[in-house]
Amino acid sequence: MATIINVKEEKALETKNFEFTYAGAPEPSLKNISMPIAKNKVTALIGPSGCGKTTLLRSFNRMHDLYPGNNYGGEILFEGRNILTEKEDMIKLRTQIGMIFQKPTAFPMSIFNNVAYGLRLKGIKNKTELADRVEKALQDAAIWKETKDRLKDDANGMSGGQQQRLCIARAIAVEPEVLLFDEPTSALDPISTQGIERLIIELKEKVSILIVTHNMQQAARVSDYTGFMYLGDLIELGKTEELFVTPAEKLTEEYITGKFG
Amino acid sequence: MNKILDRFFQLSTLSIALFTLLIAGAIFGVLFQEAKPAIDAFGFEFITNSKWAPNLEKFGAWPAIIGSILSTSLAMFLAVPVAIGVAIFLSEIAPEKLKNPVGVSIELLAAIPSVIYGMWGLFYFVPIIRDTFGGLGIGLLTAGIVLAVMILPFMAAVTRDAMNTTPDILKESAYALGGTKWDVIKDIVIPYAKAGIIGAAILALGRAIGETMAVTFVMGNVHKIPSLITDPTTSIPVALANEFAEADEDLYFSSLFYLALILFLMSSAIIAFAKFAFLKRGRKAK
Amino acid sequence: MTHTQKRVLINKIVMALSVLSTLIGMGFLLWILSILVINGIDAINWNIFIYEGAPPGYEESGLKHALIGQLLLISVSTIIGVPLGILAGTYLSEYGGVKSKLANIIRDISDIMMSAPSIVIGSFVYAVIVAPMGNFSGWAGIAALSIIMVPIILRTTDDMLQLVPSTLREAAFALGAPKYKVILQVVLRGAKTGILTGVLLGVARVSGETAPLLFTSFNDNFLNTDLSEPIASLTVTMFNYATSPYEDWQKLGWAAAFILSMFILTLNILGRVILAPKKKK
Repeated sequence: MATIINVKEEKALETKNFEFTYAGAPEPSLKNISMPIAKNKVTALIGPSGCGKTTLLRSFNRMHDLYPGNNYGGEILFEGRNILTEKEDMIKLRTQIGMIFQKPTAFPMSIFNNVAYGLRLKGIKNKTELADRVEKALQDAAIWKETKDRLKDDANGMSGGQQQRLCIARAIAVEPEVLLFDEPTSALDPISTQGIERLIIELKEKVSILIVTHNMQQAARVSDYTGFMYLGDLIELGKTEELFVTPAEKLTEEYITGKFG
Repeated sequence: MNKILDRFFQLSTLSIALFTLLIAGAIFGVLFQEAKPAIDAFGFEFITNSKWAPNLEKFGAWPAIIGSILSTSLAMFLAVPVAIGVAIFLSEIAPEKLKNPVGVSIELLAAIPSVIYGMWGLFYFVPIIRDTFGGLGIGLLTAGIVLAVMILPFMAAVTRDAMNTTPDILKESAYALGGTKWDVIKDIVIPYAKAGIIGAAILALGRAIGETMAVTFVMGNVHKIPSLITDPTTSIPVALANEFAEADEDLYFSSLFYLALILFLMSSAIIAFAKFAFLKRGRKAK
Repeated sequence: MTHTQKRVLINKIVMALSVLSTLIGMGFLLWILSILVINGIDAINWNIFIYEGAPPGYEESGLKHALIGQLLLISVSTIIGVPLGILAGTYLSEYGGVKSKLANIIRDISDIMMSAPSIVIGSFVYAVIVAPMGNFSGWAGIAALSIIMVPIILRTTDDMLQLVPSTLREAAFALGAPKYKVILQVVLRGAKTGILTGVLLGVARVSGETAPLLFTSFNDNFLNTDLSEPIASLTVTMFNYATSPYEDWQKLGWAAAFILSMFILTLNILGRVILAPKKKK
């Protein structure tokens, strides 16, 4: 039903007839979504509140499993397998598919320990290795200069924008294949937002990115592909410039031109 | 007219509020005054002296103080791990359907008067201790266990409340990096709620040390430092409860007040410590 | 075993321990509840409400004296303690505020008093009322219970009043109302559910107190409503009867325990039910 431009690049993730129902809900929140996420590109998900974009995002790292009673249907393919099966090792999956949240979520520990957290979970104990990987992650997140002299300080002393970069550093320290961004700049000021957007564009060389945003202009600025969702359906997915200038579906055009919000 | 009424209302409420301060001060003052004969007679040695012999008019508070400290410590040693375990269960493990009934039951159990814990202890637990260890079944061990069971619901409920303040989004961030439930609890929830948890424990400690009715039945009221954990002993509240009515001489009486003063100071110090070190209300940005 | 496998194993162990401790905790508490209910129900019959206390062995013995005495003690303490507590709490919230040094000192001292051992409060009242008066009395017991109740009501009132949004006060002031009217007619009314719950919980807490009554209202085996004399209470009677060597007295002790617990639990549940709809909003 949805109009999907053929994604020529290799796919990092792909959903096939994916369906999702919240615990106790009478109807599915996501219906029959078949969507590719291109490798080493940024794909944005836009749509009005309640369209299901965050619900879809949180399915990729199986966050919904934290709350009992939720139901997945269909398939999500990653590295050649369906990750929705019972057999799936969710701990390993989450080190391969990372997530950044709507508000900065610095852990109550030092800056160094925040970034090292995922590495320590993997069992890396060697001090040199930890220090090297933490430094690399902070550099890739563009806050090495601001933090290198205060790695032992509590992370909560940082500003909002810095904390969000810290969370990004923390997520990329474990070298995931995919990064999921859930409205990462909604709690940040415009300047910090700019910085994060620039960072996202840089990061796609190393990871494939899926970003949910309620800000259309942001989607237009950072993404290569954009998907428009409405009431649990994927209406259209296409190259960002084409979708915004010549959308294939009428609904998409109405949303983009602000006929409804 | 309104101005007069306004002033009147403000002054009335202020004076009542000040009155509560007055009562607190009066408690300290009266206890001190009643204890003075004993303070004059024994001085600070009262605290370190172990001999409590009403007939000889010799009074030493050490066994009672030690009894209070030991029974409370034993109770905390037993109750804290269980309370944290229950709090973890209620806050992180229990399915939604169980959270409410179990949580509410625990809160209601915290409301049961302590004298009933004492009755249960005397009739049902003492025989068990007697059968297992011999002796009377009354003593430090029994008192410690009964105290532990009594403070458990309160501590579990407050600890659970502290843990529940951890924002979901913070926990999800840790799960998103591949953490297990225990990883999230030990690295995120407990550090985040640390102040509240420790504060809860200290408040429970304050309650336990002042507890009378739960332990009066099962402690024995013997002014001796126990050599075995199953020996009968006493604590300050137990001594007060049992001996107040019997005290006939002034010095005996005054010594009991000296004990009450010590207990009042100990308990106030503990609560004050908990408040200022761990439970900064309002001053912490939520 | 990889590090992650180790983590998963430790997680399983901790989860099991947590369930175990819940079972232990609930186990003890269910034990206590069940003996309370079993012994209590076994001992309850109409005699309890008809007869006063009597020497052990008498057929016609009951708890009427204790029930009425307890009711007297609780109701007068409530009549004294609740208004004092509410007014003091009103001062703290409406005139002192969060920043006032005096108000914060009063709050801190009140917290400390709230957790003071109740037996210490009993000793205080003994020295101040019983000794000068020359005998134990209901008034002394009431004084002790009121001293325990006021800090509890004070704190809940303070907290509940602070929850009332400032916009409500501002709207009343903007209509030209003087401060005392704003407080009485708008703010207190806005917090009334919360304050009522606080009162219920305060009464429940005070009803269960035994220690402060031991040397103030003392006890009486017979019905007495003269507050200037010693008066029976359910709690002290329970204490005396249950630790006596007489079986019929012990039975009465359990009946008293059961009745008191049911009363306290009812107050607690009532408090929750009243507050619940407010929470849902």
